[in-house]
Amino acid sequence: MIELFDVTRRFGDETAVDRISLRVERGEFCVLVGTSGCGKSTTLRMINRLIEHSEGEIHLDGQPIRDFQEDQLRRRIGYAIQSTGLFPHWTVGRNIGLVPRLLQWSGSRIQERVEALMDLLGLPPEFAHKYPHQLSGGQAQRVGVARALAADPEILLMDEPFGALDPITRQTLQGELRDLQARLGKTIVFVTHDMDEALTLADRLVVMHEGRIVQQGRPTELLRAPANDFVASLLGGDDRGLKEAALIRVEERMLPVAPEAEGMPMVRRHATVNQALSLMLWHHTRHLLVVDEDDSPVGQLSLDVLMHKARHE
Amino acid sequence: MSRDARPNRVLVSLMSLGLLTWLGLDALSVAPNRLVQGTPLSPVEALGWMVTLLGAMFMACVVWLAWRPSSARLWTALGLVTGLLVAMPLWLSGAVVAVLDPDMPQARVGIGPGLWVLLFLWLLVLVELRIRLRLRRVWVWSLLLFVIAIWGMALSQWLTPLALVQEYQARSEQFLEAVLYHLALVGAAVGASLLIGLGMALAMRRFDGLRRLGFGVLNSLQTIPSLALFGLLLAPLAWLGNQVQWLGALGVSGIGWAPAWLALVAYSLLPMVRNTYVALEGVDPGVIESARGMGMSPVQVFFQVRLPLALPVMLEGIRITTVQAIGLTAVAALIGAGGLGTFIFQGLGQAAMDLVLLGALPIIAMALVADALLGALAERMRRREAA
Amino acid sequence: MSEVAIQGSEGGNRRSRWRFIVPLIWLAALLMLAVGMTTLEPLFRLLEPDLRQVIYVRESFLVLLGQHVLMVAVAALLATCVGVGAAVAVTRAAGRDFMPMVAQLASIGQTFPPVAVLALAVPVLGFGTVPVIVALVLYGLLPIVRNTLAGLQGVSAEVLEAARGMGMTPRQVLLQVELPLAAPVILAGIRTSVTINVATAALGATVGASNLGDPIISGIVNGNTPYIIQGAVMIGLLALAVDSLFERLQPRVPGQASDGQAANG
Repeated sequence: MIELFDVTRRFGDETAVDRISLRVERGEFCVLVGTSGCGKSTTLRMINRLIEHSEGEIHLDGQPIRDFQEDQLRRRIGYAIQSTGLFPHWTVGRNIGLVPRLLQWSGSRIQERVEALMDLLGLPPEFAHKYPHQLSGGQAQRVGVARALAADPEILLMDEPFGALDPITRQTLQGELRDLQARLGKTIVFVTHDMDEALTLADRLVVMHEGRIVQQGRPTELLRAPANDFVASLLGGDDRGLKEAALIRVEERMLPVAPEAEGMPMVRRHATVNQALSLMLWHHTRHLLVVDEDDSPVGQLSLDVLMHKARHE
Repeated sequence: MSRDARPNRVLVSLMSLGLLTWLGLDALSVAPNRLVQGTPLSPVEALGWMVTLLGAMFMACVVWLAWRPSSARLWTALGLVTGLLVAMPLWLSGAVVAVLDPDMPQARVGIGPGLWVLLFLWLLVLVELRIRLRLRRVWVWSLLLFVIAIWGMALSQWLTPLALVQEYQARSEQFLEAVLYHLALVGAAVGASLLIGLGMALAMRRFDGLRRLGFGVLNSLQTIPSLALFGLLLAPLAWLGNQVQWLGALGVSGIGWAPAWLALVAYSLLPMVRNTYVALEGVDPGVIESARGMGMSPVQVFFQVRLPLALPVMLEGIRITTVQAIGLTAVAALIGAGGLGTFIFQGLGQAAMDLVLLGALPIIAMALVADALLGALAERMRRREAA
Repeated sequence: MSEVAIQGSEGGNRRSRWRFIVPLIWLAALLMLAVGMTTLEPLFRLLEPDLRQVIYVRESFLVLLGQHVLMVAVAALLATCVGVGAAVAVTRAAGRDFMPMVAQLASIGQTFPPVAVLALAVPVLGFGTVPVIVALVLYGLLPIVRNTLAGLQGVSAEVLEAARGMGMTPRQVLLQVELPLAAPVILAGIRTSVTINVATAALGATVGASNLGDPIISGIVNGNTPYIIQGAVMIGLLALAVDSLFERLQPRVPGQASDGQAANG
């Protein structure tokens, strides 16, 4: 659990972060989002003391972070950044094993851990001998995440880790990170300026502006009730309806299959509602047949039901 | 920014060191004639307590100013340091009068280690102040010119008993000749290597094999110590001078200008070719492409686009080459090539240290001036290109 | 996955044992010449039939070579320790104030011709081997300081951020990340320094240091061409041997340009 109480950070006369308070529960996926220069990265870096806070207190599981020695604190917290920061003179295997080695684990234990992590992140074992420059952007970022997870930290800090990747790789890695978090139950604080990424990943969405927290809550809460025009426009303005639809799976809204559904255009059950809407527009239809992986029908989706649900939610 | 309350530790330590040097090291040495080792004198022994303390106070003042630096305080410090640099020749002039016995016309005064160290430290202070105050280069140079002018005046008017000046006066014509000869040799070597270097760089761009071979050979050449290369050229050139009449008549022989010039050209080629090659290769391909797209012929592209754009980097090569050649020409004096190096080696042979200085100081000055001028020229070109 | 992947970066730059063959050939030629110079007497006699003496005998070439190498090695060792130390010191938080001045000094200083530095050392320090070594150290410092600074500043900010973020101590960051990544550029600086010093040490013969410069100076003074050639060939071979040794030692950081000369200027 991470708690920030009235935390402020000044650089000279500039106030980069202004009295923010935040509480990230154990196992929660918290995303800090905002325009560049809003203080989100500074906030993240104050948690592992790469930047010291000027005022207020930051607690880790109820204990002020200044009680820990800096290096010891950072070894307990995973950290991944946009450019990966992999050491170019070390192999992938050695890079991943960095923190365990700092913690003086035994050689064989590090070895096992590295193998397990590479498996977890879908990196082929032979990659252990490669050097970072031999990897693609997506692979390097997987290694970066593996390195951050190496010593099995309870908390993971991520600073725009997918910012430099192409859209397709980014989406894949977002999905994998979500699954990973669901499986490992890590507490994650994630910084991004990409609102779609933030909406997809967040349990708790924290919108920052000019060093302050403007609004925080579940993504759907923010979409439904933005605190002001700034949050509304950041969340997509008039596109918010579709953004919200992107958070809902088709299977959550489908009805049992009716006989007349035969021959309707098909949509997969794991697709999102905004994809379903797109299909409806494309096929000029109000009804879709919901199918599972092997194209066997599992339900049907109708525009009227979507409208009805949306109105009453 | 200037409200920085932290002490400027660089200035404080440099000036404290200066203070210690002033109070602790010998400033002068007095010798009854050229051959005898001088007796060292401290500043106090030379001009008394009052003047020494005055100097110390100036320096302490700079330390105090640097303790809590602000823009105004640093400007004041700059003024004080300039004052100190100007005061030194004046102090020397006074000291010379005070310590010399008028009955001994042969007596001469040497500048002691204390003053050399002080000069060095004060110049470092100037460098630091230039960085902190973000002074333009022109500014610093005019300041230095002013200081040098004062020094020149003092040296020619009042400092004749200084050993350095005496060495100069004993051979003032030779000195001028040596300076000119030194410059001529450097100019001839740099000029020749510029022409050959440009040709080689052009050829290397065309033929890949030649590029690898050329850089390999030039790299090895650069590695061979100058003294050795001069020596190795000696025998073949002597033979050539003896065998071929007209070469001998031109003055080609094992010693003299011929081996010196050849070796200088050989050393100059690597930096010249490397920079020219990199300069020509480094021109933005987009610019070349668009020039071609506009319908310029290859010759036009080269002379109107590629070469002008490459000039600043080529100039960098000329700068490195020139500075290097100024130093190497000094070594060439060993094989009878003349120039300022002659004084250095004569001085070393006779254990006359001020004669060594008479050779070494102008060489250093030449190298610094060449470096500054060519550097400024390259920077100017680059800026005009960027504009 | 084998142990190597985790244990070290050696895997990537393991090179063939033949890579030292070229410096070894130079070295062998050098030693053979140092030992067997006298057997070449007929050759030199051919060149100068009238001279009484055509082989330099005041000191054996082996001793001269040893003294030359020793001077350069001592100077290089001192210059490396001081130079790398100074550059590391001014890139730490505590010494950062001194950085601009040290950087300026290192670049201005390289404008000074080595001969002039050697000449200036004599009035201050006197004649002999020790003053020459001091001058070599002083002059040799500059390229090392400059390249070490360039190397350390060349380490990407992201890598340093990651290193700190992972919980490495400042000392671990320096020893395991910064210095290894800067190593190629630092070594290029040491190479430049040593190359200059092999040459400058030879000039030391004019101020009373005894080394391979001796035969040359003595040959010039006495008009004995064979002496000059003997000294010149030995020094040339030494320089080539040292340089090619450094070239083979040049470490390569995977994925970075291997041109360690970049910061040479």
